[in-house]
Amino acid sequence: MHGDAAGPPLRSGPEPHGTASGARRPPGRTGNEVDRVSTATSPARPASAAKAKQTAAGAPGARPAADPAPGPDVDPAPGALRALWARPAARKLLVLAAAAAVLVPPAAMAWGSGAWPHALTVDLTGPLGRANDWIIDNRDHHWLFLYFFGHISGAIIGAVHAVYTVLLALGWAGVTAGAGLLAWRVAGVRVAATTLASFAVCGLLGMWVPTMRTLALMIVAVAASVAVGALLGLAAGLSERMFRALRPVLDTMQALPAFAYLMPVVLVFGIGVAPAVLATVVYAAPPMARLTALGLRATDKGVLEAVESLGATSRQRLLTVRLPLARRELLLGVNQAIMMALSMAVIASVIGADGLGDRVYQALSTVDVGSALAAGIPIVLLAIVLDRTTAGMASPRRLWAGAPRGGTGGHKLTTARTRRATVRFATLAAVAAAALVTGDKPWPGDWTVAIAAPVNDAKDWIVDHLYTGLPGIGGTADLAGHYTGWVLDPLRDGLQGLPWWGALLLVAALAWLIGTWRTALTAVLALAAIGVLGRWDVSMDTLSQVLAAVAVTLVLGFAVAVPAARSPRVDRLLRPVLDVFQTMPQFVYLIPVVALFGIGRAPAAAAAVVYALPAVVRITSQGLRQVNPGAMESARSLGATSGQQLRHVQFPLARPELLLAVNQAVVLVLSVVIIGGLVGGGALGYEVVFGLAQGDLATGLVAGAAIVCLGLMLDRVTQPTKAEKKGAGA
Amino acid sequence: MSAAAAGAATDAPVFSVRNLWKVFGPHAERVPGGELAELGPEALREEAGCTVAVRDVSFDVRQGEVFVVMGLSGSGKSTLVRCLTRLIEPTSGTIAIDGEDVCGMDKGALRELRRHRAAMVFQHFGLLPHRTVLDNVAYGLEIQGVGKAERREKAREMVAKVGLAGLEDRRPGQLSGGQQQRVGLARALAADPEVLLFDEPFSALDPLIRRDMQEEVDRLHREEGRTMVFITHDLAEALRIGDRIALMRDGRVVQCGTPEEIVGSPADDYVRDFVRDVPREQVLTVRRAMRPAAAGEADTGEALSPTTTVADAIGTVARTGTAARVVDGGRCIGVVDHRGLLGVVAGLDGDGKAAA
Amino acid sequence: MRARQWIVAAGALALLATTGCGAADMTKQASPYADAGGTRTVTLSVQSWVGARANAAVAGYLLEKELGYRVDTVQVDEVPAWDALSQGRVDAILEDWGHPAQEKRYVEDKKTITPGGDLGVTGHIGWWVPKYFADAHPDVLDWRNLNKYAAQLRTAESGGKGQLLDGSPSYVTNDKALVTNLGLDYKVVFAGSEAAQITQIQQFAKKKQPFLSYWYEPQWLFNEVPMVEVKLPEYTDACAEKGTADPSTVNCAYPTSTLKKFLNADFTRKGGEAARFLKNFHWSKEDQNEVAQMIAEEKLPADEAAKRWVERHPDVWKKWLP
Repeated sequence: MHGDAAGPPLRSGPEPHGTASGARRPPGRTGNEVDRVSTATSPARPASAAKAKQTAAGAPGARPAADPAPGPDVDPAPGALRALWARPAARKLLVLAAAAAVLVPPAAMAWGSGAWPHALTVDLTGPLGRANDWIIDNRDHHWLFLYFFGHISGAIIGAVHAVYTVLLALGWAGVTAGAGLLAWRVAGVRVAATTLASFAVCGLLGMWVPTMRTLALMIVAVAASVAVGALLGLAAGLSERMFRALRPVLDTMQALPAFAYLMPVVLVFGIGVAPAVLATVVYAAPPMARLTALGLRATDKGVLEAVESLGATSRQRLLTVRLPLARRELLLGVNQAIMMALSMAVIASVIGADGLGDRVYQALSTVDVGSALAAGIPIVLLAIVLDRTTAGMASPRRLWAGAPRGGTGGHKLTTARTRRATVRFATLAAVAAAALVTGDKPWPGDWTVAIAAPVNDAKDWIVDHLYTGLPGIGGTADLAGHYTGWVLDPLRDGLQGLPWWGALLLVAALAWLIGTWRTALTAVLALAAIGVLGRWDVSMDTLSQVLAAVAVTLVLGFAVAVPAARSPRVDRLLRPVLDVFQTMPQFVYLIPVVALFGIGRAPAAAAAVVYALPAVVRITSQGLRQVNPGAMESARSLGATSGQQLRHVQFPLARPELLLAVNQAVVLVLSVVIIGGLVGGGALGYEVVFGLAQGDLATGLVAGAAIVCLGLMLDRVTQPTKAEKKGAGA
Repeated sequence: MSAAAAGAATDAPVFSVRNLWKVFGPHAERVPGGELAELGPEALREEAGCTVAVRDVSFDVRQGEVFVVMGLSGSGKSTLVRCLTRLIEPTSGTIAIDGEDVCGMDKGALRELRRHRAAMVFQHFGLLPHRTVLDNVAYGLEIQGVGKAERREKAREMVAKVGLAGLEDRRPGQLSGGQQQRVGLARALAADPEVLLFDEPFSALDPLIRRDMQEEVDRLHREEGRTMVFITHDLAEALRIGDRIALMRDGRVVQCGTPEEIVGSPADDYVRDFVRDVPREQVLTVRRAMRPAAAGEADTGEALSPTTTVADAIGTVARTGTAARVVDGGRCIGVVDHRGLLGVVAGLDGDGKAAA
Repeated sequence: MRARQWIVAAGALALLATTGCGAADMTKQASPYADAGGTRTVTLSVQSWVGARANAAVAGYLLEKELGYRVDTVQVDEVPAWDALSQGRVDAILEDWGHPAQEKRYVEDKKTITPGGDLGVTGHIGWWVPKYFADAHPDVLDWRNLNKYAAQLRTAESGGKGQLLDGSPSYVTNDKALVTNLGLDYKVVFAGSEAAQITQIQQFAKKKQPFLSYWYEPQWLFNEVPMVEVKLPEYTDACAEKGTADPSTVNCAYPTSTLKKFLNADFTRKGGEAARFLKNFHWSKEDQNEVAQMIAEEKLPADEAAKRWVERHPDVWKKWLP
């Protein structure tokens, strides 16, 4: 099953998470999958209602707002209850209800029915605090640090230093020319033009040095990610056992918010570039590993067998067949690693990574949106350039490049080769010349354009007019108030009022209905872990924010995606906007969001929606557009209105994509929880920020772990997995 | 034509397969020879979770012959041919190539076997999409460590031999199915193997192209006299190119013999059912239709060789209007007349009466 | 060539590469960007508030223009900054509001950080209300009357209570304890970052809405949004001691602290002119505010703001040059 890797890309632009989603899991387009999902999700509502009755004390209105079934979903009448029993979903619920009937009364008796019982928590503050102290005390003389971590850190710093020195030595003209020619060589003239323009803009914005720093860090981090990822992928691609062991790990890692990776590396390495690179590698290597493994495993069995029949050794098989055939996946993996690394490079500025991220972060502290944008634009441009270049390499058109079309192949091939050699020579010459001309000069100081002031004015104007002046609904301030008071508060109170065993049961039921008993178990264990960590109430607060934001994202996302799926023009207009929103560091839009919505959970939700919306729109519109034209045609021929087509054909047929969109919305919204902590979102996000800020790693790590658990739980609950094939005979 | 080639076959077997089993599933090794072997496929799957693909198969492939393994899909024929070079590891039994035990070979010896002695052509070609035709053909030599110039020259020669000259720099994706299979054939030939193994090589091709390819294989066989093991599910193909045919069902060889034996004397109802629609006169020879010469008949009439098909004999008899003699080595071994010939066409010759 | 062998080989190689060449003390590894291209680099820690940026801007400007260094600034929170300072990843912290635990660990025990003297500015933390609100309701300035105004200070986030706006998680705060111990009908709402807090305050001020906020001086925002401090129960040593033992018992105002500079120990020894210059760096609250305001309010680049201040006050900075 390698449809996810080789299948149609879910995007065309840079999108650290969206692209990841492409690799995360297949939309699952098989017929019986659709069928299975539809039977699994429709009874979700009556099921939970039945369970609430069964658990008697279940708080009303406590059900999460985000129903995982986005399609038209009919509540069966009571009479349909009998039919329900025949369904496999009902059987699962029955089992669950039985288990609950046995387990819940004693548990409730022993530990009460409120929030997570204190008796079942483990306080990690002491041990974690001691570990932190131990590390600081031993960092300069313990062998573990001197002979292991020290070398890792030293190697990273050395590598970044070397790359940075080279970039400085090339000078601005050398770097620009070199990058442009490289892009030309691998991805064509248009990408090369984009590259040149992008680097010029970076310089014009006065961000040359930070851009080079980020680039140096990126180059090292991406190289390390690709190396690590490829090694892991190789292992998983060649060994079935390794693959089975790695897959859940990689799945989980990709569902986690980037911030979660910062705490542990800071614990060991302190602040600086080394931990930033390490966190980036941990974050960016999984997609590479995943795609490498997929690519290797997807090698045409027939080709492999043929090669084996010719007496190839396994090394020959790997080098001459499997790796060349997996080239597309490998390049996609590199592409993904780059995009993930870039988004992490910004976040890593919180732990002292320097570069563009740091500029954004510094601008944030003076409430200077203009400066933040000036540093944010180069990030977006870097993302676009790197994405287009690597995607260009991986495109099928260029994949088997050099394939002559005509009959006089041999001749054409040689001319192509000569031409390529010429280009290569010209490249070297041009870069050398450019480097000679500019020496090691960074961008000339007077060639810059200050955009900060006009941007700030524009922002102020917009904020002033939106804050109160929206006709009909008052202003964003009122909107935020209503959202907090009418949506967030009841939801939070409901979740926090839910008995702990009720929450566990609810999660179990949802996860099992949508996935397998394995996913259900993972989800329940993740939720229980939150309780054990002693973060129950806070996590329920975060959960309420996430669920509400996901609901808003989905509503908006579907509202935008439907016209985008229908009209190519809307889609074309939308695409660059989505690209920008997805790659723009979230720090940049924190200030406008606070200015519009005030401090609190509402702006946190707004930031989350802005961040998650592009992926949702993209996946949804892609799914709607991919609906079998035959089905659409037959619906049209029967005289269905466009509304009917949407309801009866497009939504049902695009169900796998819609579910994927829900899943992505959840994962992405959760990944902004910590950013939300910076604008008053409170709860877990704030605790992580607090932990980082105060060096209180006990608080930060525990909250981070709770976010991880929450992420796991939500991912499993919203992730429709194919039922594992039972028996080997199939 | 097959009969002509059969004459070239000598008695020393190239492949000698004895009691070969291949069982898929857990603890497969306990099935052959045990109680489980007696169970039917369904029962076995229920009981042990195992599937038997090849069940106690024995046969010899003789030098220079085209040995066809035929059966419907799922009969185990593809598994069988893969067991010959241990692309699939047999569960039990012995395989010998030129008297050398294949099952006992270590990795290196096995690799040498695959590189030099037995090359395979696959149903889905198995070409490398990122290499040119020439490099695909040269691939086998490349992994043997043959130098670039030498292997390219050899590959060029093979490409020409299969009729693809001028297409050396194309990639497989730019070729038609038939052309791709010619590349596969050239690749197998490049290593100059002792035996060519074909796994349903033409099943994925259009009927016309399939015919071309069959003729190509037949030509190669005639010109080079290479031993071939040919897997197919197409009876017509089997009869056309096979010197001997092993017919498989549910992993067992139900009958092994010349096309004439298969068609003329089906071993059981399954085979009979299988060959029912075969035009018998095209396959069966006059041996089958002749009767002992009556007095005087041994000297008169047209002389036919014993390998003449009934169809050809009908033509002769119809033209001359009299019975024809069957002459083998200058000695008349019988005569065929219109009655005997028609009896064969009508299937009245009877199963029990095998050819002499 | 099995997959496992590959992994073992790669692992062994990595281990060899990392351990084969002796010890590597990561507490001695500077930033990779330092000293690139043959320049002498000083790395300054900049905290998230603007006062700190003003210090760094002026110090950095003078180091570059007068002494010929290249200056990098890195923004990290206070406690991690101490850690980075001890490892030499930054060379100096110019404005520290008092971190006794870190001071003990790094200055006294490990001796990786040396004190760099006073900055010359005193800092004060407290609760503040906007001047327009204090003018209309003068009695709000006594904490005893705060409950009277709780209803007016309500927001969506604070629920039924009044809102006490707190800022960045990196700041020292006893506000939760204070609200409880003083029996106030308020809820502490954490803005999560100073930027968010400032934006919120500006937004309130624009609408002339009342608010109560944790705040501190020196701070440039006072020039834009005049605020008046609410009197809390007086700060006493006894109360401070009690608070050190158990932070949840604090029931008095925040102390006024002298802001200090700290330098990396190695930098102090080998930093030459730069180290001496940074030790000498000493200016007043007004000076700092002048620069901070140019940065934050007029949105001048830090460099430009520093340049203007340097042009205006040569008498102040001439004394710092070694």
